[in-house]
Amino acid sequence: MLMEPDCKRQKTEEPRGASPWQVVPVLSERESQGVTLMPVYAAPVLDKKEASRLVKEVSAIYPLGDYPHLKRVRARGSVDSSHPLEMILCRASGRHQQGALRTLSELFPSGQLDPSGLGTPFLTQVPVYPPLTRRQYEEAASHWPVSFHENKRITQALSGCLFTPSEKTALQSHMELAIQAAQRGARQGMKPVGAVVVDPATGRVLAVGHDCRDGINPLLHAAMVCIDLVACGQGGGAYRYQDYPGCSFLLSANGLDQSSGADGLPYICTGYDMYLTREPCVMCAMALVHSRIERVFYGAPSPHGALATKYHIHSRKDLNHRYEVYRGILEDRCCDLAHLSVPK
Amino acid sequence: MEAAAAAGERVVFAEETEAWMDRAIDMAKEALGNGEVPVGCLMVYNNEIIGKGKNEVNETKNATRHAEMVAIDEVIDWCHQHKKDPEEVFRHTVLYVTVEPCIMCAAALRMMKIPLVVYGCQNERFGGCGSVLNISSATLTDTGEPFQCIPGYRSEEAVEMLKTFYRQENPNAPKSKVRKKECVI
Ligand SMILES: [Zn+2]
Ligand SMILES: [Zn+2]
Repeated sequence: MLMEPDCKRQKTEEPRGASPWQVVPVLSERESQGVTLMPVYAAPVLDKKEASRLVKEVSAIYPLGDYPHLKRVRARGSVDSSHPLEMILCRASGRHQQGALRTLSELFPSGQLDPSGLGTPFLTQVPVYPPLTRRQYEEAASHWPVSFHENKRITQALSGCLFTPSEKTALQSHMELAIQAAQRGARQGMKPVGAVVVDPATGRVLAVGHDCRDGINPLLHAAMVCIDLVACGQGGGAYRYQDYPGCSFLLSANGLDQSSGADGLPYICTGYDMYLTREPCVMCAMALVHSRIERVFYGAPSPHGALATKYHIHSRKDLNHRYEVYRGILEDRCCDLAHLSVPK
Repeated sequence: MEAAAAAGERVVFAEETEAWMDRAIDMAKEALGNGEVPVGCLMVYNNEIIGKGKNEVNETKNATRHAEMVAIDEVIDWCHQHKKDPEEVFRHTVLYVTVEPCIMCAAALRMMKIPLVVYGCQNERFGGCGSVLNISSATLTDTGEPFQCIPGYRSEEAVEMLKTFYRQENPNAPKSKVRKKECVI
């Protein structure tokens, strides 16, 4: 059904702050994972005065070009005063068989290094990748000193400070719309999953929909419904939703033919936000890549989810579009929707 | 191509596979001739085409209307017309498509429980049957069932048609636009 363009959305009388919730950023796989380690040969620097010469000579023979985050030298503190410094010599892989201990003359057979001041080599583990979050930095630094270029936006998002209170109120009211849609769908025997598309530039709600897989078409999950409803609003769309009043769209104010981008292609969700009561599956997550969605906010995690749960489809470097994802919005109420499933 | 591959209870023979793939390639050629995305896609059940699909992204302004999604809808319509149970029909349907299904379509095919997909060329940018992700064979919760793939039939021709299409569409387009265009498969 068509929304009245000027209709005011019904204010929901929800008890404010009934259950607390937090916006949690869903980072990429690399940003979310723990620290991966690799073995290197290191050696104590027995004579501090030789340190800078040794660094220069070793770096010329074994540059750490692929690992610019690794510091060559670390201080041992007061733990062992016999050698205050230790330095990385080289990776313990490739032509040096992994795990086998080597002598200095085996590691530097060419004679280009003057080994005076270096102690006996030992094997140790160092982080393979540069740390992307503070958590990764702290874990990495516990193994070996690394440099860290902090992404302020990620840190802010992780600390829950990315959204202002008024932005959070907007997130909540949009998720409430998605929850209502899920409830309306459930009353018609549909799976209780809801979705909303919003243009954050104007604050306008462009589409509200619920899962229709048990009604119109088995592939019409809530996200697919909303992608199609946005297309309907632009004069396109593949399905008709007249039997499902919980599915509605806003007819594009600029007329029906403005949906094409500069290249003439209908990436109609460019710049838009989608709210989903639960984490989308592989099909829906990839549909949002094809549709060029800007951000996705979801409430409840899902065992078949393809964002935080598996694949991180929103943030893969090998796909041509990425979108930001935040979870946890009205999480408890979104989780409760699952109990609405109508027995068939 | 290997002699035979099991598809549910049916056995698909090489000659049969090649004949259907030739039809799919012809569809892709026809689409190319009409200035459309050159992807051919057939759903075959009991030696009969019960669904065809072409890319309808532009007509519907919906970026998810890939040929496979359109063909799935045609099969569902066919089932309704012939009073057949879609689940039972999909379980014995083979998809012949000139390009490896994307991640989205691979997930959709799993959920419809199609047992076998025969395709032409790899889909390096979006492929869901091994090129980018291996959705076709992955162990996934509540996302249908894995399906078998037979890749590679007339793949050079399938790739060549796609290349021709992007050249025709954007003779003078800057590189970024050409790249964007590729997202329609
Ligand atoms: Zn889905
Ligand atoms: Zn596809």
